[in-house]
Amino acid sequence: MSGLRVFYTSVFLFLVFIIQEVIIARINFPFNGFSLYLAVLMIVLALEDRTGSLVFGFTGGLIMDLSTSADTPFGQWALVMTIIGYLFSANRESIGDFTQSPFMLVLFTCAAVSLSLVIFLVIGLMLDQSNGGLFHNTGLILGNSLWTFLITPIFLPLIIRIRKLMLDNRERV
Amino acid sequence: MARGGGNRSRLLLVLLLVSSLFLITLDLRGVNLASSIRSGIATAFSPLESVASKIFSPIGNFTSDLKNFNQSKKKIEQLTKENDLLKSTQILDEDTVGQLSQLRNVLDLAGRGGYKVVAAKVINRGSSATFKQTITIDAGKSSGVDINMTVISDSGLVGVVKSVTSNSAIVLLMSDPTFKIGVRIAGTQSIGVVSGQGGSTYLLQLLDATGEIKKGDVLVARGSQNGKPFVPGVPVGTVTTVQSNASSITQNADVVGISNLEQIGVVAVVTSPPKNDPRDSLVPKPRPTVTIFVTPTPTPSPTK
Repeated sequence: MSGLRVFYTSVFLFLVFIIQEVIIARINFPFNGFSLYLAVLMIVLALEDRTGSLVFGFTGGLIMDLSTSADTPFGQWALVMTIIGYLFSANRESIGDFTQSPFMLVLFTCAAVSLSLVIFLVIGLMLDQSNGGLFHNTGLILGNSLWTFLITPIFLPLIIRIRKLMLDNRERV
Repeated sequence: MARGGGNRSRLLLVLLLVSSLFLITLDLRGVNLASSIRSGIATAFSPLESVASKIFSPIGNFTSDLKNFNQSKKKIEQLTKENDLLKSTQILDEDTVGQLSQLRNVLDLAGRGGYKVVAAKVINRGSSATFKQTITIDAGKSSGVDINMTVISDSGLVGVVKSVTSNSAIVLLMSDPTFKIGVRIAGTQSIGVVSGQGGSTYLLQLLDATGEIKKGDVLVARGSQNGKPFVPGVPVGTVTTVQSNASSITQNADVVGISNLEQIGVVAVVTSPPKNDPRDSLVPKPRPTVTIFVTPTPTPSPTK
């Protein structure tokens, strides 16, 4: 994996983060909200190789830590996403090639988004944060998964195409 | 994968985990890394958010309208009639008129309470992935806004300023599960604490076990020392259900917020508390009902 690709992917993730913070966050979704950034990051992680999952999990988490509305210690999302990146990395072979099965990729993205939110809450508990009650948080996570499931198929082909553009010639082969 | 590749991945994993934990430790130790970076990001984003607020405001309204589809249908019929009327006189931008109305009402509320305020427009909402319910407003330090200032809407409490940059501020909404405010039942001395529940309803815990709560009671903010984070007298909510539990030490009740947090476009930040506690003067008064007595005039009896 070249340094240039790390740079391009990070810039791409940062652009998605800006869209999330400036546009998506202002939409009052019924049944809680939707995080475009989380969904895109999960797709990127699912499509990456072992090292890529780890590196982009960490950088993607660091970008999430920049969220102006976050009240959590800087690095918490980086830790969560590194763990998620590791899970992707460790299960690379069993996950298989999702690009051949878009439906499975969408389902997997939903599950990964939910898992990342759960891990975030668990780490938050360990750091003595109060993030609301169980009922509220369960609703938020389920709502987020539902919207991820409904909206991800709309932009999934675009993300796959953009990722292909970011691969260098050797990686494309 | 080759053994070397596996070792490299493991080493990378350990390195990244240690980096994350190092960053968290730095933050928890009080190194203002996060706040300065986030403040920089907020400053950089605020012009973008202002532009997006103008362009994408109909999208946000569309989804909240979907939630109230039945109400929207009635509203559409009503608006269609009004629209015909407006066409004959003057076509006005509904969004601007709505915001103007909100601004007028919020300034009216602040005036009645004796609060010094800075009016601001809501330019963004916090991401749901942060588990925090926040809004971003377009007034910051340059307008006199500071952290822990009360934020009100045209009908009552909205939240409290959590962080501030030169020209924007993030407000923690009262619906956030971590939000708590000391309140008093209007017209009485009974005090309690209202907590956010993540939605449009709140929980009131009355501290006085002998105090009486009833449906329809209006709650007002008790106020904090020097008016920070809460100024006194701001309407907070109305009691909808009283939870009667004989074994409980405190009395609990469900409360509905006085401000519709999903539809606020204009707010005011209270920069200075009132000289005198406005007590119950800001409690919304019920509209007077007009009673018309009709006395039938005696009908003349037919004469033969």
